[in-house]
Amino acid sequence: MSQEKKISVKKTVYKKNDELAEEIRIKMKNKGKLFFNIMGSIGAGKTLLLENLAVKLSSHYRVFVINGDVATTIDADRIARHGVKTVQINTGGGCHLNANLIAKELEKINIDDFDIYFTENVGNLICPAAWDVGAQMNIVIVSITEGEYVIKKHPIIFKDAEIAIINKCDLDGLGFDSKVLEEDAAKIKSGMKVICTSAKTGQGIDDFIEALGIEIPRDE
Amino acid sequence: MHEYSLAYAIVEQVKEIIEEHKALRVKKITISAGPYELIIPDLLQDSFKIITDEFEEFKESILELIRKPARITCLECDYKGEPDSEGDDEFAYNFKCPECGSRDTHIDRSYLTIESVDLELPS
Repeated sequence: MSQEKKISVKKTVYKKNDELAEEIRIKMKNKGKLFFNIMGSIGAGKTLLLENLAVKLSSHYRVFVINGDVATTIDADRIARHGVKTVQINTGGGCHLNANLIAKELEKINIDDFDIYFTENVGNLICPAAWDVGAQMNIVIVSITEGEYVIKKHPIIFKDAEIAIINKCDLDGLGFDSKVLEEDAAKIKSGMKVICTSAKTGQGIDDFIEALGIEIPRDE
Repeated sequence: MHEYSLAYAIVEQVKEIIEEHKALRVKKITISAGPYELIIPDLLQDSFKIITDEFEEFKESILELIRKPARITCLECDYKGEPDSEGDDEFAYNFKCPECGSRDTHIDRSYLTIESVDLELPS
């Protein structure tokens, strides 16, 4: 014979992930490290933007980039060419990174060996929104070639972001318009830093670095 | 397709509850979700079946999904509750405050909740 019992749980499904993410965030903060989570669609320009950041930051800071993708090491290899350390996580079909995947990679290194950490999340504007990776700041990148409705359709991911990057602005006026995206990003929450960039020409990269709160020492 | 990740997270937590109560199996898991969780119920059910297939404790377990209204906290006026019933004709999801009209609202990511589990315990 057996008996039945209803147990009241009332806990978030994200409990384990959120607890681990908070552990990562506290650990990084206590060690004085910066940790940024970069999210955006496939083709938004996340990797090329990170290449731009790597070029600007690598001579002043020790940078570690965790790339998330379903397969290949293409993104991590591209960024590593610019003098920063990268590691590629292949999710094998998983559409987002999570705190557990990040924790596993951090266990393999000495956190003190780097100053600034980035994740390039899996290209997607839906799934990464709910999974805290333990970063101190979320950044969402959209490109003007994704069309003027992309933020209207996917506002949720911007709710937990501090910076909205409108990328590929070198194509502004060539059949694409950055203005609507800039306005929409600013409407989602007050205090949102909206920056137009071109990972191709370098436009806005310094503003992006400033918005991240990273100081680049002036040359002697 | 984040439903697989969600189903996995649900199963991980329920496994701990089964262990804690030394249960023989779980008969039903009840979860609640709002519209911002963007869950496709069929995908969640399929993922749950795939993940639990090999576990005897989850044999014939039911995963029940209860839909609940969205909940926002207004960062302007501190209102807590459902967003403006008139909706938002600019964005696909409505997170406007009904009290002051602000979109500067917080969406609680932890809203997706495991409400209860029905366990079968040894007598």
